[in-house]
Formats: sequence, C-alpha cells, structure tokens
Amino acid sequence: MDNILSVLVFFPAIAALLGFVVDKKSARVYGISVASVELLLALWLWMSFDSGNAGMQFVELVPLVPDFGINYYLGVDGISLFIVVMAALMTLLGMIGMSIEKDIKNMIISLLFLEMTMIGVFVALDAIVFYLFWELSLVPMLYIIGAWGGPLRVYASIKFFLYTFTGSLIMLVGMLFMAYLYHSISGIWSFSITDWYALVLPVSYQIWLFLAFFVGFAIKVPMFPFHTWLPYAHGQAPTIGSVILAAVLLKMGTYGFVRFSLPLFPDASVMMIMPIAVISIIMIIYTAMVAYAQEDMKQVIAYSSVSHMGVIVLGTFAMNAEGISGSIFLMLSHGIVSGALFMLVGVIYDRRHTKLMSEFGGLASVMPKYAVIFGIMLMASVGLPLTIGFVGEFLVLLGFYKVSMIGTILAGTSIIIGAIYMLSLYKKSFFGPLTNKANEKLLDLNGKELMSLVPLVAIVIWLGVYPKPVLAPIDNSVKALLTFMEEKAQTPEAKERIVVSTTMKEAR
Amino acid sequence: MLEPISVSLASLNLVTLSPMLIAIAGGLIILIIDLIKADLHKSLYVMLTILILFVDFGSVLGLNVNERGFFDVMLIDGIAIVSELLILAASILFIPLALTSKRFHEYSYPEFFALFLFMIAGFQFMVASDNLILIFVGIETASLSLYTLIALHNRNSSYEAAVKYFTMGAMAAGFYTMGSAVIYALTGSVELYQVADVLQNRIAEPGVMVAILGGSVLLIAAFAFKLSLFPFHTWTPDVYEGASAPLAGYMSIVPKVAAFVVAMRIFGMYIDLGIEWVRIAILVLSVLTMTLANMMALVQEDVKRMLAYSSISHAGFVMAAIALDTTKGNTGVFLYYALFMFTNLGAFTMLWISRHKNRVHHERYDHPYEKFAGLVKIMPFAAVIMALFMLSLAGVPPFSVFWGKIYIMSAAVDAGYVWLAIVMGLNSAIAAYYYLKLIVYMFLKDPEENDGTVTYNMTKPLMTIVGVAVAATVGSVFIMQPLISYIFYMVSASGY
Repeated sequence: MDNILSVLVFFPAIAALLGFVVDKKSARVYGISVASVELLLALWLWMSFDSGNAGMQFVELVPLVPDFGINYYLGVDGISLFIVVMAALMTLLGMIGMSIEKDIKNMIISLLFLEMTMIGVFVALDAIVFYLFWELSLVPMLYIIGAWGGPLRVYASIKFFLYTFTGSLIMLVGMLFMAYLYHSISGIWSFSITDWYALVLPVSYQIWLFLAFFVGFAIKVPMFPFHTWLPYAHGQAPTIGSVILAAVLLKMGTYGFVRFSLPLFPDASVMMIMPIAVISIIMIIYTAMVAYAQEDMKQVIAYSSVSHMGVIVLGTFAMNAEGISGSIFLMLSHGIVSGALFMLVGVIYDRRHTKLMSEFGGLASVMPKYAVIFGIMLMASVGLPLTIGFVGEFLVLLGFYKVSMIGTILAGTSIIIGAIYMLSLYKKSFFGPLTNKANEKLLDLNGKELMSLVPLVAIVIWLGVYPKPVLAPIDNSVKALLTFMEEKAQTPEAKERIVVSTTMKEAR
Repeated sequence: MLEPISVSLASLNLVTLSPMLIAIAGGLIILIIDLIKADLHKSLYVMLTILILFVDFGSVLGLNVNERGFFDVMLIDGIAIVSELLILAASILFIPLALTSKRFHEYSYPEFFALFLFMIAGFQFMVASDNLILIFVGIETASLSLYTLIALHNRNSSYEAAVKYFTMGAMAAGFYTMGSAVIYALTGSVELYQVADVLQNRIAEPGVMVAILGGSVLLIAAFAFKLSLFPFHTWTPDVYEGASAPLAGYMSIVPKVAAFVVAMRIFGMYIDLGIEWVRIAILVLSVLTMTLANMMALVQEDVKRMLAYSSISHAGFVMAAIALDTTKGNTGVFLYYALFMFTNLGAFTMLWISRHKNRVHHERYDHPYEKFAGLVKIMPFAAVIMALFMLSLAGVPPFSVFWGKIYIMSAAVDAGYVWLAIVMGLNSAIAAYYYLKLIVYMFLKDPEENDGTVTYNMTKPLMTIVGVAVAATVGSVFIMQPLISYIFYMVSASGY
C-alpha cells in the first residue's frame, strides 16, 4: 500500500466526521476501535518500512496549488516513523484509560481530529501542509482543555492557543521568505521541504530565517522563557489532554528543529549552538528546581517535562549522530514516560479529586499495583539504566560532551535534580504511614487503567533493554541528515562541528 | 453653425455597457411589475433579482478583456471584469437572505430590490471606468441607493446609521471631487491614462509636486472614508450595527471591492509615477488600520460590532497590498476578497439567522456574546459552523481566509516588505483573540436561560446560503488554483 500515509492521516478525520452520527453511549467504544485500527495501520507502516533506506519512504505528491507551489506532499523517514507510531499508541491508550463521562462524544470526536493533525504534522513534507496541520492541532486541544479542564481552563486554553498561534505566524513569514528565495533562484514556486533542502543560502539570510523558525518551534517545545503557557495548560487540562500534549504536541517543536532548522540552515544552526545550549541548560536546571518546589503532583510532572524537553533540544544541537539520534529517541521515551505519568496522576485524581502531595502518603500500602507502575515510570523518567529513559538521555549527554564538557556536566545535573524531585514526590505520596483517612479505602488500578498502563510498562522495559529495533532506523536517517548538512555547510566552523559519527556501541 | 458630429453605433462599443444596462433594466422591470400588480410576495422579487444578476454575470463573462467603449469612457480591463464578477457573486449570495421566516420591513417593498439592482449598476460603473467623472457618478449612484437600503430597515438605529453614512459619504464625495479637480487643473484631463502621461511630463516642473501631493491627500482621504481606514473609520461600527446583518456583511465586501479597484487605478498611477509619498501614506494608514481596529474589536461586547471592527481590520490588511503595487499584490486583493466573501457573508448570515425582532438578550445589542453561550450544547451544528467561520477569519488553515492571507503576506515578502508581513502576522494573532472569544462562549460556557431561539429566523434558503459558505470556506484549497491563475491572468492582462 503506497498511499498508507494518506490513509493514516485521513482515517481518523473521516472517523471523526462519522462519529457525529454514533450514539453517545457507544462513542467511547467507537473511539477506541478507530484508534486501534489506526495503531494497527501505524504498525503496518513500521513493518513495511525499509530500515536500510535512510531517505523518505511512502512518498506521495499531488499538486494542490501549482501556481503557488503548494503540493500535498507526504513522506516518512526513520526520524518521523516512530513519532507517528507513538502518536497513534498514546491516543489509543489515553482513550482506553480515559475516565471522562461528560460529553464523551465531543471528546472522542476532538481526539480523533487531533490524531489526524498530529500524524499529519509528522508526515508532511510540504511546508504549507505542515503548517496547516500544525495550526489545526491547536483547535481540538483548545476545546479539550477549555471544556474538560480545571477552574482556570478558559484562561489556560486561550493562553495556549494564542502563544503558539503567534509563534507560528512568525514561522509562516519565514516559510514565505524561503519560498520567495527559492523562486528567485530557481524561478519556480515551491513549498516542498525537499526542494528547499537544495538551497544554499548566504549565512546572513540563514540567521534571520533560523530565528523566524526558532520562534515557532521554541514556543511549542516550549523553551525558556516561552514556557509559561505550559504549566497552565497542563495544570488545567484533563488527563487525556495532558497525555497528548506532553507525549505528542510538544514533540512537534523539537521535530521541527530536526526537520527544518538543521538541514535548511546548517551554518546558522552551528552558530546558534551556544545561545541555544545556554537557554536549554537554564531551562533544564531552572525548571527542575521549580518542579521540586511544587506541591501539586501534576505540576511536578509538567515542569519535569519541560526540563526533559531541554535535554532533547540540547541533543539536537549537538550536531553529531549520538546527540541527534539520542534526542529523537528521547522524544519517544519522554512521550511514553510523561504520558504514563500524567495518566497515573489522573488515576489518583479520579479517586480523590486532588493532586496535592500533602493529601497523600502511604499510598503504597493501599494501592500496591499503582505504586509499582508509578515507581517504574518514575525511574524511567529519572533515567535509570535498563529503562527507556536512560538510552536517550545517555546518548544526548554523550553527544553533547563533544561540544562542551561543562555544558554536559550542567545538563547532567538534571538527572540528579530529577532524581531528587521525583523520589521526594514518591516518598511523600507513597511511603510512610497512611495519615489521611480519606486514602484508606482507595481502590487499586482497575482493568481499564491496567490495560492502558501495562503496555507502556512493557515498552519502557523492552526499549530500555534492547533499543536497537527503534534506534537503528533513527540512526540511519540521522546519519544521512548529518552527511547532507556537512556537504551543504559553507563556513569552516560548521564543517568542523557537524560530525557524522562512527560508533553506537554505547547504546547497546 | 456647428458641424453635426456623426458617431457610428459600432464605435460606441455598447457591449461594454451591457452589464450595467442589464442591472438597470432589471430594476425597472421590478418597479413595473409592482405597478401592474401590488402585494406580490417577496420571494418573487428575490428570485427575479437572482435571475437578473445571473444574466448580468453571464454578460460580464462574455466581455473581451481590454476594450474601451462609449467615447473611451468605459474601460473593460481584467480588474474590471474580476471585480464585477466578485460583486455579482456576492450579490447573488446576499439577496436570498431576504427570505427569512420572520417578516422584516424592508423586504416587503419591491423598491428594495430595484434599489439593490441600481446600486449594483453603480458599482459596475465605478469599476469599469478610468474616467474620474464616471467613477464619481458610479460611487454616488451606488452610495445613495445603499443609504436608502440601510434606512429601509426601519429602526431608530438604522436611521441613525443611514444618516451617519450619508454625511460621511457626502464628505468623502467632497474630498473626491476636490482631489479630481486638482488633477484636472494640473493635467486638463479626467481620463487616468492621459493624466498619467501629462503628469509624467510635468512632474519635474517646479511647484507641480506640491499640487500633486495636495491632490493625492484629498483622494486618499476620500478612499479612506470609503474603505473605512483609520482615522476615517469611526462611522463603520455604528453603520454596521444599525444595518441589518446581511446588509452589514454585504457592505463589508462589495463597496470595498469596488473602492479597492478605483484605489488600485488611482494610487497605482501615483506609485508608478514614482511618488513614494503615496505608498508610504497608504502603508502607514493600513498598518494603523489593522492594528487599531483589532484593538478596538477586542473590547466589543456585541458580535456584530466585533465583526464590524474585524472587517475594518481586514480592509486595512488588503489596503497594504495596494501599496505594494505589484501584480501579485493586486491579485492578492481580489483573491482575498473572493475567499473572505464566503466566510464573512456566512458569519453575518449566522447572526441574521439568530436575529430577533426585539432585543431579548441585551437592552442595547442584538447579538451580545452571551446570546451564544453554550451553543454547542443546544445546537452543535450551528456552533461548529459559526466556529468554522471564526477560525477562518482568524486565519487558521486550511480555511479560506488563510489562503488569502498567505498570498498577500507572500506578496509583501516578494516586494521586499518583510516587516509588513510580520506586522500582518502579529495582527492575525491579536485578531485570533476576539474570534476565539466567541468560540469560548459557544463551546466552553454553559448556556444561559435560553429557549432555543438562537435559530429564530432559520429557513431553507438561509440554510442553503450557509451551506454554500461552509463548503467554500472548508474546501477553499481546491478552488485556489483556478482562482489564482484566473485572477493573476486578468490582473496582469490589464497591466497592474
């Protein structure tokens, strides 16, 4: 099936439209069935993906507006493949674990539309199509946060929307300028990213364009100091909203760096390594400290999520195969781990309607299964060896070590601070005597919740022990990317900095 | 004794007049029908009007590009044809909105429909000429009819709106005639193509530049009134509020398209002559217009007033494209309005559908935000459709206005005005806030005490119009290619 990408993108959208007809009581089952089919399709994509081929596969190209160079242009490579699979997986598991009863049909329809936009962003190879899905993803998320969120939900959802919308409009101007440059050099209008890759731009242009794209991506990631929308969004969003937001939507920003910034502007990217590294390290340490100061479990995880996103950005700008492969692997592991953690917080919130750590204590004795799964995810988040979190974090730090030793040491403290805030969260909530009477009769995980969490535990351990099936195709495409960047780079510093690496032993 | 001048009928090239003649004849037919038999139902007149507009549309399509006629007063070039088609399409979409389920005063008079057709003829004269006098006659024919159409709504606020619009329009007409008089004094001609030649020769003479600047100031002021650019925009929200919702939606499109064509002809000439001052003035006006109108729209409590400010801001956005004076920019003007037309008319139609005879929700406003609170729980489809229009107006892809926006922004980037594209982008972000406000009310708030009368005025014809608007808004990506290539061809064929 050569057009599997179109099917993947539009299947959930059509299912969402048809979902208007489905009866309210059956909406959840409908959503879960659609999401399962979507996951199977995504797995099929993985199975038929040729790991030996580093380039774009399953390419589809249909001209939409030829006079203006807009094409419906999709394709997938090792970098995007697993994010697509993860998006489908997290949507399904999030839906299974969802406890929402109110307006369930609207929720399912929004989630299915959201799934279309998420997958669309990662397979689009035309800048305008990319932008289209990128912007469209805000709309269902706005509704999910705004309709099912906490008391400040309207404020949080509007803040989320406006922040990202503003950033992406600046990015749009950058895209239009790229198309203009392409037109003035080649005489043809084109928004295809692969066409743009062929452009060798003067360094002064590269810097401005890099900055224009950076604003769009940095707000989405979100990078310090643009991160202020995220704690609100997470704090107010319902569990499913936080899961999707942390697992997939934030990855759009870091994916954008890899797909646009690095190959389009290699020289500017190398020049920007230091400023971005400084921002990332501030973001890693500062948000980790903020996480430690939180009283609310969900806020701890939200801030830890920002901190880990900093590690991902750092790895991307290491400009070597370890760093970039590591950061892409970390995108996956962060998606799975933070998604699971948000689900776990959701579990306790459903039972007690509070997320304050001071309300808990000694939960391990009433909810043993819950405590075990929470523990595993927490360890994965901290980056314990043999869990999924370790692989990516280690590779990123290894990669960045070649850029700056001090930077790596500073970024490495995130693991220590991470361990501090995560373990103290665990201690406060799960260990010690059961002090609060309200907690005595709490029920352990039910079947629905186990169904959504156990697969994630299995993945955390499987990819922690044996990451090769995922890491090998990623590494393949990343090396192709680096080779391309090295050829394209003009300044000697950039040529020197971009390293197409040799070994990946450490990962194994 | 004067020699009689013999003019052959063929040299008049009367076919260039045919679109206007059809509209005028149609208006007369409607009046005659009323004379013969009174008390006919409005649906008859609506359908007749649509048919006349349809014939008119066909006659415009049949015109040859770049023809002159009637002593060279008529000029049928590409932009004239494109804008006439736009005007007719918007009018065809607009007129069925008279078929509401409730009875509204104005539609019970056949004169409404006759005046409507005369107004269209006026707009057609305006765009199909480069003779300053004929343009003036077109403007006045159209405006006088429009004032009356507004006043026919028969409410205190609509009288106020009509009088306000009339006084402002009279002032603008004054500015326009004075500006034209300056041009005539300088060049001895009112034909723009001759004016351009003479100015080209005289521009270096001492003292001429001051006169040119003076004339351009007067003309800019006149068109700033017509296009409701800052600081001449103050009449717009009141007039839109006083007029009925469909007429307000119509006013945000058709008169502006016509005025943009004239602006393109006049200011394009100035910019081509190398008078940078005009370009800078227009750019400043348009940036101020979009920014300040957006700010004002943020604080409105009534959806219709919000949409009024939003259309001011959209007009400012498009005005910037005129200042670029490139083929792509001018193409963008028409493309933008072709796409904006469906969305904006759709949004105003949704207001019209929800319009009550009395103000049940608010003592001052017909359409306060509260009226739409929790609409998704009462009428999910209406809420989703309204949200689609709002997202489209905000410039969220893939809805129609987004494509117009990126085309104009791209034109700005091409012309070397990257800062302008960034200003446009930031303005879209500000605008997103007030469009979201309505979405927030519809989707995220709980319904007020509401007896489900939001679709008070709903009828099948109105639903059809909304359906067409939704289809065009959502499926715009598929009509982009033919639209762009047709408009671009037409604009470049007429040399703009």
